[in-house]
Amino acid sequence: MGQQHLAGPVTVALVEDHQVVVDGVRSWFSPPGPVCLVAQGSTIESVRGVAADVLMLDLNLNGTLVVDRVAELCGGGQRVIVFSEHEEPEIVRAVLDAGASAFIGKGRATRESCLETILEVAADKPSMTPPMAQAIATDEGPHRPQLSDKERAALLFWFQSMSKASVAARMGIKERTVRQYIDRARVKYAAAGRPAPTKEKLLICAIQDGLVRPDEVTVYTSLAARSGEVT
Amino acid sequence: MAAVTEEIEQVAQRYARYTAIGAVMIAMLWHTGYDLTVTITGWYDFRYPAVAAAAWLLYTAIAVLAAVALLRTSSGPARGRELAVPVLALDIAVIVACYPKDLIGPINWGWGSVGWLGVMLLWNRPRGRGELFVFLAANAGIMLAAMAVTGTLDRVSIAKYLMVEVGSITLQLGYLAGCHTLRVRAEDAVLLARRLAADDAWRMSARRIHADRLRRYDAIRDVAESLLKQLADGADPGDPRVRADCTAGAMRLRRLITEREDVPDALVSALRERIDAAERRQVLVTAPPFGENLPDLPEGVREDLLRAPLRALDGARSRARVTVSAMSTMMSVAVVADNDDLPISTTPVHEPSGVVVTYQRQGGELWVNSIWQGP
Repeated sequence: MGQQHLAGPVTVALVEDHQVVVDGVRSWFSPPGPVCLVAQGSTIESVRGVAADVLMLDLNLNGTLVVDRVAELCGGGQRVIVFSEHEEPEIVRAVLDAGASAFIGKGRATRESCLETILEVAADKPSMTPPMAQAIATDEGPHRPQLSDKERAALLFWFQSMSKASVAARMGIKERTVRQYIDRARVKYAAAGRPAPTKEKLLICAIQDGLVRPDEVTVYTSLAARSGEVT
Repeated sequence: MAAVTEEIEQVAQRYARYTAIGAVMIAMLWHTGYDLTVTITGWYDFRYPAVAAAAWLLYTAIAVLAAVALLRTSSGPARGRELAVPVLALDIAVIVACYPKDLIGPINWGWGSVGWLGVMLLWNRPRGRGELFVFLAANAGIMLAAMAVTGTLDRVSIAKYLMVEVGSITLQLGYLAGCHTLRVRAEDAVLLARRLAADDAWRMSARRIHADRLRRYDAIRDVAESLLKQLADGADPGDPRVRADCTAGAMRLRRLITEREDVPDALVSALRERIDAAERRQVLVTAPPFGENLPDLPEGVREDLLRAPLRALDGARSRARVTVSAMSTMMSVAVVADNDDLPISTTPVHEPSGVVVTYQRQGGELWVNSIWQGP
């Protein structure tokens, strides 16, 4: 599934009501580059029906939080990346539960980090931005994933430190292992939440890549029966 | 406002105390003014005057016990129910001390008077009101039985009996009900005062925070105005300094937009104050929203959590990132800053409060992280 995007740039539709942000994002995606902005509008309806690999969604549209629209967008299989300054853990968890593939905090988004997230999401790879790490690590809800102590520590340090290299130094492990902890936590979180097509794609990819075993993901048991669709 | 609440609480306590004193005064005045007078003046009319006198003394002794308890605790004595039995016994003793012809007469003071002693004994006791009904019924029953035994059931005697019973019981229960209503109203007033005090405190805090936000909006407006003026006057948007100023303004504005709580946590307030101070020194500070569900911290933990990260923030040269992570039994405060001067420990520092502080320098940045894990 992720392979198809290697052929050309990843297409992105943007829902954002502030022109200055639209202009900034457009300049980040200016060709030639791995990502191409194919549609933009200030309401969800204005980009509906546009075929884009990824939909970037500002949460605060014309003064209204659209958290409750995320599930409807993801329900159709659309990959959604929320792009917002509302980085409160409760809001991040709400949009991830609804099926959003990633959450980018406007507070410290950079061109590089944004492109990295979009490419990961387009390829259905686990993507973990700092606000997501914080939200997942501090989740105390009844359906929270069973994270190991190291996975939780890696998430918290990743949110609060300057880089994954710092986390590695702090935990006394290799940076590659830090990435693995973080990716596994993301996969576990996707498996523990409400089912959504975008989460299923992420889980299937994680198993294909050997990041988790099928028996480590409870939700995947039901998907394993449909392995014909995966291959 | 707290003083007003205390004052009204005292009023409620005074109501309980003075209504109890009222019950004592009525019983004692009745007992000395009427019971003693008729015992002395009717001494020769009694069949057994010594029994009547002993009953009066027993009444007095029990009344003193009850009065001491009422004055000390605003409630009847702990053994009020047990003491009601000798009271009924003295009621019978006064009846026995009279000739049958005086049963309904003025010298038989017991049955009209013991009700007040019952009120004192069962005042403000758990189940006291129900027990007082039983006590008054027993008193009325004893007198009726005595009238039946002595054959005093003529129309005039029955009428006198009913008049005295209705009169005394109405006074006793009426006083009890009146005092109860007063006390309930006083307690309602206390609750209302507490609620008003809480509302006022909330309103004052919210007003202060609102005023603070307006002040910060004003400050940002001034910065934005000056930036726009610079740009209008031909400042180069590509100039790194102009761009840094624009980014700083946008960050401050974004943080204000995402502040949603009406009364911030003490730790969050302390952090915001120092973030503001850092920004005044032209330090570019990023701080994602701190969340709303921060745990209550034991004594001393907040100070230990803040000390090292705030030092890192205070010494930041040009940029800093402040983060708070919290769960119900965990809180972690971190600052990443370009602080070159802060002396650091290469090993984790364990504070007496249980907070663990770690330091790390990497790529020109300092990361200070303090973590508290609750039990």
